[in-house]
Amino acid sequence: MSDSPPVPASTVVLVSGGSRGLGLAIVTDLLDAGLTVAAFARTVTPELEKLADAYPDRVHVGAVDVTDLAAAQRFLRAVEARFGPVDGLVNNAAVGQDSMHTHTATADIARIVETNLTAPLQLTRLVARRMLGQGRRGRIVNVTSICAQRGFPGLVAYSATKGGMDAATRSLARELGGRMLVNAVAPGFFASEMSAVLGSTQLDQIVRRTPTGHLTEPAEVVPVVRMLLCAHTNINGQVIVVDGAASI
Amino acid sequence: MNELSRAQIRDLMAQVVRNQGRVLPDDDSTDLREIGFRSLDFSELALRVEDATGEELNFDAPGLRRIATVGDVLDFLAELQRQ
Ligand SMILES: NC(=O)c1ccc[n+]([C@@H]2O[C@H](COP(=O)([O-])OP(=O)(O)OC[C@H]3O[C@@H](n4cnc5c(N)ncnc54)[C@H](OP(=O)(O)O)[C@@H]3O)[C@@H](O)[C@H]2O)c1
Repeated sequence: MSDSPPVPASTVVLVSGGSRGLGLAIVTDLLDAGLTVAAFARTVTPELEKLADAYPDRVHVGAVDVTDLAAAQRFLRAVEARFGPVDGLVNNAAVGQDSMHTHTATADIARIVETNLTAPLQLTRLVARRMLGQGRRGRIVNVTSICAQRGFPGLVAYSATKGGMDAATRSLARELGGRMLVNAVAPGFFASEMSAVLGSTQLDQIVRRTPTGHLTEPAEVVPVVRMLLCAHTNINGQVIVVDGAASI
Repeated sequence: MNELSRAQIRDLMAQVVRNQGRVLPDDDSTDLREIGFRSLDFSELALRVEDATGEELNFDAPGLRRIATVGDVLDFLAELQRQ
């Protein structure tokens, strides 16, 4: 293989599910770092709206359902029209689960798979096509989960989607042959709307098993996402676990 | 819909417990831990109710975590059938 120049730091980053929780923390952090950010979720929250007001020249927000491919494509084109080519993607949007597999409605399984696996694959395809077609290089970060590597009751379909994204990360890194750096960040459980379903006994148990003695915080995940988007490294096709060694 | 009564659900629960060599006490306030009735036993019971009624019973784990007594199990399944 010929020598390829390093993949430059991302400058215009698309973040799915940027309206709250980890996604909002990622958007805020990337803006603080001087990047231009486009973020969407099904509902634009006041917090995301506030960021758009604070950085009118560097933020584009919209209400988009990630499972609506046509809407995602329209959003991407609007972002490109405003800021130029997107050279970074963070697949963060996802829905959680807290139900035994045997008693999860089939429609719910389909929705989890569509939102957490099919949609990010489609969005990745859209963004990668734009980047490749314009001869550009870029970076992709998939937010997966420790559930992809360790078993947790009540999270069967969710874990399957996260494992699927970890696997896709490795194959994409190979397929995109150095034109794009593709990595995943796999956080342990952190407090958010998604994990609010966990009982206090479960959360206490996770904390007890975590050598660093606390649940992972979004603030402890965002520097890793930023590093994968911006730092000059040769990290590619990796899944970086951020869980205080809870799973070790 | 062919809905099971609370008493019919109790009979099915007694079968699940009996299959494990235990006896379901008459007292609805019995703590499930006393009879070793765990989430998979609950799942088995729910699937037996499904078999009898022909209707799928799906539910989230948080609802399940609130169940502590035999009476809670019966109330939960009776309510779930109505949803
Ligand atoms: N919380 C945890 O313990 C934990 C642990 C490990 C990994 N993770 C992962 O971290 C990421 C963020 O999770 P979080 O805890 O921050 O979740 P969260 O607070 O529930 O936020 C999820 C975000 O995704 C958006 N979203 C959900 N469905 C969407 C759809 N169909 N279309 C567009 N946007 C959608 C939500 O906005 P709308 O609902 O308005 O669409 C929201 O912005 C996820 O990938 C999750 O799997 C979470």
